[in-house]
Amino acid sequence: MDVQRYISSGIIENHVIGLVSEAESREMETAIQQHPEVKAAVDAVQQDLEKYVMMLAKKPPVNLKKQILDRLKENTAVEEPLTPIPQPVASVEEIPVTDYTPKVPVSPLRIWQYAAAAAFTLLVASAVMNIAYYTKYNDTQSQYASLQDNQASFASEKDSLSAQLRHAQEELTMMKDPAFKWIKMLGTPKHQGIVATICWDPQSKATYILAQKLPEPPPDMQYQLWAIVNGKCIDAGVFATGEPAKAMQKVKDVTTAQAFAVTLEKKGGSPSPTLDQMFVAGKVAG
Amino acid sequence: MESAFTYTESELIQGLKAKDQKVFSYLYDRYSPALYGVALKVLNDESNASDCLQEVFMKIWRNIDRYDESKGRLFTWMLNITRNTAIDTLRSKAHKMDQKIQDIGDDVHLYTGNLAVHPSVDHLGLSKVLEKLTKEQRIIIDLAYYKGCTQEEISRVLEIPLGTVKTRMRNAIIQLRNLLKLV
Repeated sequence: MDVQRYISSGIIENHVIGLVSEAESREMETAIQQHPEVKAAVDAVQQDLEKYVMMLAKKPPVNLKKQILDRLKENTAVEEPLTPIPQPVASVEEIPVTDYTPKVPVSPLRIWQYAAAAAFTLLVASAVMNIAYYTKYNDTQSQYASLQDNQASFASEKDSLSAQLRHAQEELTMMKDPAFKWIKMLGTPKHQGIVATICWDPQSKATYILAQKLPEPPPDMQYQLWAIVNGKCIDAGVFATGEPAKAMQKVKDVTTAQAFAVTLEKKGGSPSPTLDQMFVAGKVAG
Repeated sequence: MESAFTYTESELIQGLKAKDQKVFSYLYDRYSPALYGVALKVLNDESNASDCLQEVFMKIWRNIDRYDESKGRLFTWMLNITRNTAIDTLRSKAHKMDQKIQDIGDDVHLYTGNLAVHPSVDHLGLSKVLEKLTKEQRIIIDLAYYKGCTQEEISRVLEIPLGTVKTRMRNAIIQLRNLLKLV
């Protein structure tokens, strides 16, 4: 580029005053950067113009400074967001006024790069959050499952406890009820030291047995209760031993009885007692 | 209110960036006449020019971080803010082309030589410089600089061919320079 010719072409004066096209303006910016002579020429014209401007200087109204300083104090208290310095609006046929306002040049490519970077950052953040929340979800899920298990076991425990309580209350009711007769059956001479108790209401005929201390029978055998009336043995049903025997067990209703006896029979019971297998017996009082 | 001491340009910039209100006050005292002169010249109305100047100083305060020393002097930057703000106001007030021309024609201060010159520069005798510019030279500078007119608009106002606007502009500025050298 012929720098001297460029300088004397008039473009510098027109650039400073704002009468060049955008393309010329860009060319000028490049020339200013590349050629110190061009920069010096531009600065010289700029300074001439500024001297001209200074000639037209005029003191602003006296109260204006105070107004501005007051606004500034308000503004400093509540910092307003940065607003870009507006450029004169250039209509289509107009050439924009030269603007020395320092601008941060942001090309569309750069904007896309920023946008892409922002999008990628958001994506990564989202993925991290997803993983974090998924882990949390799994934890919560297993906690929930174990809580459900706990809840279920509490519920069944509660059921069994309330069943036990109901049972205990029934037993207590029987014990309190004067209609019930309690017959303690002691061990026969062959089976000293073993005990079972009958609880019988002659009116309602309800009969219970409490097998306090009976030895565990062989697997194929079972204890059977008999009501004895005038030397005859009447079947009053079989009953369990072990865990259920810790509570009162309901057996068949008994209409009349002078005594009760328990024999060991084959599983399911026998129509008549095996008398040599009698374990306990007791008379009904009065 | 005039500060008794002066700051260098870089001290001024530092102070403004640090939001030092004392520095700002100094800046106002030193530059407000020049900037007010510009606003007044663009808008041709004291009340509008005062509003504009307020806006300009607020922008200087808020946007000082955007000022880039490598791109030009602080005064040039402030001058451009003032010019842009004032021309924006002028356009937003829906001034038509005719109005702009009217404003220039009415500007008796400039064209009668009865100049309202800032005292600090008046003693330099600069007012005489203006008298030596031809009316056309002043108008072409003023239309472009103060009214933000385009080449086409200038061509229409001065009734000169579009192709000669730039040449006339250059000559006007060269004339201005020569006159300034005489001072």
